[in-house]
Amino acid sequence: MSEKVNINFSVNGDQETREAVVGQTLLKFIRDELHLTGTKEGCEIGECGACIVLLNGKPVNSCMVLAVELDGQELVTIEGLAKNGELDRIQQAFIDHAAFQCGYCTPGMIISARALLDRKPSPTDEDINEALSGNLCRCGAYQEIREAIKASSKK
Amino acid sequence: MLSYEYVKCTDLNQVFQLMDKGEQVYPLAGGTDLMVGMRGGKYAAKMLIDIKGLEELKVLKEDEKGITIGAAVTLNEITLFAPVQKNIPILADGCHSVGSYSIRNRATLAGNICNASPAADTAAPLCCLDASVNIVSSSGTRAVPIGEFFTGPGKTALQKGELVQSIFIPKPYPQAKGVYSKASRTGSVDLATVGVAVQSWGNQVRIAVGAVAPTPVRAVSVEKAVNEKGEKDWANAAKLVHNDISPITDLRGSREYRFHMVEVLVRRGLEQTMEV
Ligand SMILES: Cc1cc2nc3c(=O)[nH]c(=O)nc-3n(C[C@H](O)[C@H](O)[C@H](O)COP(=O)(O)OP(=O)(O)OC[C@H]3O[C@@H](n4cnc5c(N)ncnc54)[C@H](O)[C@@H]3O)c2cc1C
Ligand code: FES
Ligand code: FES
Repeated sequence: MSEKVNINFSVNGDQETREAVVGQTLLKFIRDELHLTGTKEGCEIGECGACIVLLNGKPVNSCMVLAVELDGQELVTIEGLAKNGELDRIQQAFIDHAAFQCGYCTPGMIISARALLDRKPSPTDEDINEALSGNLCRCGAYQEIREAIKASSKK
Repeated sequence: MLSYEYVKCTDLNQVFQLMDKGEQVYPLAGGTDLMVGMRGGKYAAKMLIDIKGLEELKVLKEDEKGITIGAAVTLNEITLFAPVQKNIPILADGCHSVGSYSIRNRATLAGNICNASPAADTAAPLCCLDASVNIVSSSGTRAVPIGEFFTGPGKTALQKGELVQSIFIPKPYPQAKGVYSKASRTGSVDLATVGVAVQSWGNQVRIAVGAVAPTPVRAVSVEKAVNEKGEKDWANAAKLVHNDISPITDLRGSREYRFHMVEVLVRRGLEQTMEV
């Protein structure tokens, strides 16, 4: 039997205590235990970026993190960006620029983009390339994604 | 789901006790190799020891002797550390070549060298900088030169019960240009098919190459030609790298392709770093 441990953490601003199974990835925990299914599962080996979330403010691949490692940390998922029913600026920009087709990569893309704008409010093309280096879009919406990020930057 | 024990340690002695006692006990840093390796069956872990909370491993500092990088410091933190950017940018390049931005928010330098892939992107730069690896265990500490740390694919000089505490890059720094270049199948998120570090030290050069031998190796034949015989024709010098390597064919490239690319990257590295 897999061992279970209690973990304390904050998710999208709320403090939570839950049981986590040792060996479970943070990605599975977010989807199956917290029922926040905006975070997507793609490759499960760190290559696609569909599972990217903010851990202590930094974008990380949640398939590369254990749920038990969340203890004492701060998690933000795509569900945490909208405030009082209002979309985050970058979310609205993705809609305005049609920065997706199927939308599967979108939560991870938006999380990476939000983190980029937080550390560099006026990113260059090179900054954008670096920030999205771990986010794959099989539909090839890269150009529109870049435009959405540029539109959300400080002029 | 895989089942093993997970322990987050805040005290080095606790780490040593667990490592000395158990079999199949693995330190967990960023987990970017471990998570993939466990899923793929490479590691049958019975216990993971999370070392990210250990204050001793969070050190990132420069003093009169050089730069010390603790085992819990992430690659992104290293790339942004001003003394690294200023004095040893070749290491910043190597760190920056690993995976993707989000991977580098977890991945560590210590994890990269302990995993000991022949293609590890930080290894060749470290080999050009005379880095050493500070190792701790219940029986004390020892320092191993980076050139002796790698003993084979996935193999290192670490003995049972030993933990890498930090990586040290000594002064004097090169005070000259260094470049790390990587041939890979995609622009990011892929291991090197060939990785080449070329660091000039005045009119001398140090060259290390990755993914073309069981471990990262120094291109001693090229170094000799340039440093001792005064070879200035970089294309001629670069050809000699073939004497220093033993590449294999795998999914990233053939043996022949590697022979070719390593020569090209060594020549370019010499052109970029050495004055004519
Ligand atoms: C999508 C993806 C892309 C990648 N791309 C690259 C790439 O381009 N180039 C590249 O070089 N690598 C790449 N990697 C591999 C990996 O990210 C790096 O090797 C990374 O630096 C490993 O560090 P970590 O902290 O995550 O190690 P972990 O996975 O935590 O540990 C790796 C190994 O080292 C051991 N270990 C860790 N710390 C210590 C310590 N202090 N003392 C003793 N043993 C220790 C662990 O037990 C384990 O065996 C990639 C990985 C992924 C998932
Ligand atoms: S599911 Fe995590 S990177 Fe693909
Ligand atoms: S919109 Fe389909 S993967 Fe990006």
